[in-house]
Amino acid sequence: MFSAIYFESAVRDHPRTRAILRRYRDLPQIECGRYSEIFNRKSQNFRLQKENSALILARKHGRKVLPAPGGYGFDAAGSHYFSHMLNCIYDCRYCFLQGMYRSAHCVLFVNYEDFADAIERTLSHPKEHPKEHPKEDTHRKSCHSARSRRISSSALPMRSFGFAQDDRVGRQAQDNGVVAHLPTDAGEVAPDAGQVFYSGYDCDSLAFEPASGFAEYFVPWFAARPRAVLELRTKSTQIGGLLKQEPIQNCIIAMSFTTAAAAARWEHGVPAIEKRLAALGRLQEAGWPVALRFEPLLPDTSPDACRELFELVFSRLDSRWLHSVSIGLFRMPADYFRNTLRIYPDEALFARETRTRNGVTSLRHPHEEAWLRQIETALFRHIDPKNYYRCADGETDREN
Amino acid sequence: MACMSVMSENRSRSAEKGNEVNVNLVVAHRLEAERLIQWFGLSEISPRAEFPWFGNGEGLSLVVTGSGAGRAAAGVRHLHERRPGCAWLNIGIAGHGSAAVGTGLLIHRIEDRSTGKRHWPSPTGLKLPHGNLITVSKAETEYAEDAAYDMEAAGFFTAASRLIVSDLVLVYKIVSDNPKHPLASFRRGQVPSLIGARDSEIRALVTHLRERGARFAHWRSLPAEYQQLLEKYHFSVTRKAALGKLCRRFTALGMGPRLTVLVSKRYHSTAVLMAALEDELAGALPVGGKGSNEPAF
Repeated sequence: MFSAIYFESAVRDHPRTRAILRRYRDLPQIECGRYSEIFNRKSQNFRLQKENSALILARKHGRKVLPAPGGYGFDAAGSHYFSHMLNCIYDCRYCFLQGMYRSAHCVLFVNYEDFADAIERTLSHPKEHPKEHPKEDTHRKSCHSARSRRISSSALPMRSFGFAQDDRVGRQAQDNGVVAHLPTDAGEVAPDAGQVFYSGYDCDSLAFEPASGFAEYFVPWFAARPRAVLELRTKSTQIGGLLKQEPIQNCIIAMSFTTAAAAARWEHGVPAIEKRLAALGRLQEAGWPVALRFEPLLPDTSPDACRELFELVFSRLDSRWLHSVSIGLFRMPADYFRNTLRIYPDEALFARETRTRNGVTSLRHPHEEAWLRQIETALFRHIDPKNYYRCADGETDREN
Repeated sequence: MACMSVMSENRSRSAEKGNEVNVNLVVAHRLEAERLIQWFGLSEISPRAEFPWFGNGEGLSLVVTGSGAGRAAAGVRHLHERRPGCAWLNIGIAGHGSAAVGTGLLIHRIEDRSTGKRHWPSPTGLKLPHGNLITVSKAETEYAEDAAYDMEAAGFFTAASRLIVSDLVLVYKIVSDNPKHPLASFRRGQVPSLIGARDSEIRALVTHLRERGARFAHWRSLPAEYQQLLEKYHFSVTRKAALGKLCRRFTALGMGPRLTVLVSKRYHSTAVLMAALEDELAGALPVGGKGSNEPAF
């Protein structure tokens, strides 16, 4: 998985550092000052480095919990993200991380306790959340601007599986049954009500779990704070740690899928769809809230291929007990796209006609809206549209 | 396969040079070069130059820089002007605080003792003993730290990583002296045998760099049609860059044959040519192209 481990002097004696160094005792272990000495410095090539990437163990300084950018669902109380890890052990060609960082090394911040303290402070004082850096905000927004509806959806205080609904939260039917859940009055939201904490923006939440113990630490922590919601976004089948724990209703395991052909072509090192489904099925059986993210949809994805995927997925999972389901198009902040193109100039995925609007680059589809609707129609044969949202955030061309 | 450095000037020069993946070796002393010259069939290209350098006509070159970080850096630049390197490897002997004489170490951290600056050669994935290195300005006799000591690596790494991505710059040192066998007892004549004993490791590193360098060059290579167009038409600098991008897109989309057809036609101007290429790409297949298993929508 890794070809070397760097560790900051400051975390040399941290129990997580020591455990990981013991686990990977055969790898070169190199001490450094700050992780930034190695990560993201100039004159690196992400693509070359990905062939022999390293793990960097570090301490996270500064802000550890950041507000989900404006336009993300709950504008008032509640959506935040935190990144205990930068970069991903998988190698998905469509991933924005390729363009975000110069380095392909993975950084693991071992000071989970400091993250937990920061989350605690956020829960206690949601209105005092510091503003995100404007540039970073733009990046996040454009990377995942589509997540607003997802965040809204999963931020629902959950009394049970599936279509839990809080009185304060309205469901507003939109065209084609696409639904977003938006609080109508931020002032009515209790300090920690429905506050959602997303892990997995800058990494895969579970892929490194056997060594990182991330979920092992944070799931019990969130279990003690039932009105805060943790979403683990993953393509990993590393669910052993979760299955050992009692399921909690405020931890959602959201797994991403693309069609079989897209997965085979663009997702490298990622567990096969069948294995992911088996893992998700086991989690669902065990009582964990699970969610489905069908993204990114690439323009050559046919509705037929999606139908096949949906048939497969819903033959393995009980759609009645899904937390939420979403579809999202491929898109990337324009500067990340440029960076990615620079390191993958020979990649067909990035050689097609693109469209850049509001700082976001996407791949052109001649009939995007009609295409998406066909796919959604196929999806709605399996799920209640009320539990669905589209990660398209109004940027989709309307051509019908 | 064209050798590409991060510098655009070198990139274009290399692209025009042809199918080379140059791995450049850098040593401080002639004795360190001796076995390398034998193994790789290197012959002296420029015996009277300030920096003697050698080549084998198969993409491997070697320069002898002399002692010191400044000389190492200058030697890198000297060789680069003559043989732009796709990848760089510094090989040499070093003192060490604890490692046994003869130990070969792939260096992961270089500290420049004079400036305090640190450099981080990328991991290779090769199963080789590894270690840290301190570059000093005078030969180390105290061996205070559990690290290797040399006099060139910091200068070498700084210079080479300005010419190519640092992931293609490596340092390999063989321990020649340590507290038990101090420098005073070391005889220069031992150098060839110390290097010679690390034959397989050095060959593995050269192969590693050659393969990675080749991949790196391939990713950035331009189709032959690009060169043909440059010869047929005059492009401004801006248009030349845009042409390169268009040609790459044809290749990436599996539309090389179509590019060949378009290039064979005559155009009134480069603007018309570029428009024709862009029109063709605008009608390109969806992402999966010919390799996709999915039907296009």
